[in-house]
Amino acid sequence: MEEAALIRSAQRGDAEAFEQLVRSYDANVLRMAFNLLRSEEDARDVYQEAFLRVYRNLPSFRFDCSFSTWLYRIVANLCLDQIRKRKVRKEEAASITTAEGELDRFQLLAEGRADVDPQRQLMSAEVNNRIQEVLAQLTARERLVFEMRHFGGMRLRAIGEAIGVTEEAAKNCLFRATQKMRSALGDFV
Amino acid sequence: MTCQQVQLKLSLYLYGELDFAQEEELERHLEQCAWCERALAREKTWHTSVNAESLDMPLDLLAGCREDLRNAVRLRNSAGKWKRILESWPERLGFSASSWSFRIAMASFLVFIGFSLGQFVRAPGRFASLTGVSEMGLLNPYTSRIRDIQAGGDGQVRIIFDQVRERQLVGQADSAEVRKLLLSAAKDAADPGLQVDSVNILKDQDGDDVRDVLLDVVRHDANAGVRLKALEALRRYSDDSATRQGVVFVLEHDDNPGVRSQAIDMLAPLSGRVGFSPELANTLEEVIRSEQNDDYVHMRCLQVLQEMGAVSNVY
Repeated sequence: MEEAALIRSAQRGDAEAFEQLVRSYDANVLRMAFNLLRSEEDARDVYQEAFLRVYRNLPSFRFDCSFSTWLYRIVANLCLDQIRKRKVRKEEAASITTAEGELDRFQLLAEGRADVDPQRQLMSAEVNNRIQEVLAQLTARERLVFEMRHFGGMRLRAIGEAIGVTEEAAKNCLFRATQKMRSALGDFV
Repeated sequence: MTCQQVQLKLSLYLYGELDFAQEEELERHLEQCAWCERALAREKTWHTSVNAESLDMPLDLLAGCREDLRNAVRLRNSAGKWKRILESWPERLGFSASSWSFRIAMASFLVFIGFSLGQFVRAPGRFASLTGVSEMGLLNPYTSRIRDIQAGGDGQVRIIFDQVRERQLVGQADSAEVRKLLLSAAKDAADPGLQVDSVNILKDQDGDDVRDVLLDVVRHDANAGVRLKALEALRRYSDDSATRQGVVFVLEHDDNPGVRSQAIDMLAPLSGRVGFSPELANTLEEVIRSEQNDDYVHMRCLQVLQEMGAVSNVY
């Protein structure tokens, strides 16, 4: 069934259609939230809240924009809120929360690349630490735009629509993020 | 295109976000310039390093999320079913819920219940005998402030506290009462999250009071995220002289490069040509002199000065 038909069925209360609609997007939404927030718990919260909002408001969805734009607008706002709250709480930590508990990023890197020569491994860990520092220093919006473009592969026009700014503003945001990244990694590359 | 212009566009080029003409021009430059080609190779290297930062999503996370969502939707549906049943019970009993007599009867009944409960709760010692604590069910430590504590002789304690009662106000964002609270929340530095939420709503509102609060926030708030948000919200007032003065102040004094970058984009939009203004030219030259570490602000100041045709002696 094509997307518009799925949406109409879901609007009429067809639970299966709603589930199919969710499944077309949910892996990407969750990956984006998980990468951005680096916490299973927070990503889970964003996922749940985003799709529940979609469920609640789907009957009033009037096809004024594409469904994906609408969905990513919701997801982007939730992620921005999380990042801002976290920045306020100064909780941007050098660790990742997983089901197994807190894991240090450095530890993860070392385990993942144990077969590489030690000097290179150290260098790589240093680069990764630096990347993490820069990512933490980006503004919430820069971080989101960077995530959506670099990891999510979304076009700037779609990103702009999702976060409620013009394509040009999204481009400026990405530009600032990449400038910061480049100057921070200048010594390593 | 100069080497500097090419290098500023390399990331956008790699993301495929340049328009066709710019891409062509950049590629022509790259074919002839070994220096820029090396810069492109470096750009690709950091892009690849950052790619390695992408986390693999745990396999069971998605399955868990889907299950939780399914349960939440089911719960919501069953709650909706109960709501419908509750709404329809008067009809089942042969009353019409919309008839005035039924409404008046229900209202009287509720007033009677409330009055009776009030009398019951107020009776002295009624709850003290059950819990040993009189009236304490009303105290929420997060919304109250304790003023005084006095120990009595028989093990009793007397506590005097102020209680803050939560209230809810629902209304249009432009109604006077809502707007007053939004303006107050926008300035409440104790909760930057709340400030951002307020500014998000206020950005669609017109009025000198909104503009003045936003200007106050961009000038004085301690949180860069909030200042950035307020600056964005001021875009709709960007032709106004008080706003421009405020933005110039930010460009000259804000210690956050992101905020300064936003300020300069606001004074001189990337998409439009900037007319000559001696005041702006002076400000930009001042900024260039003081700006040591932020390439973007430095580059944009130069660009705007060049666009205005202002001769600068600082570079």
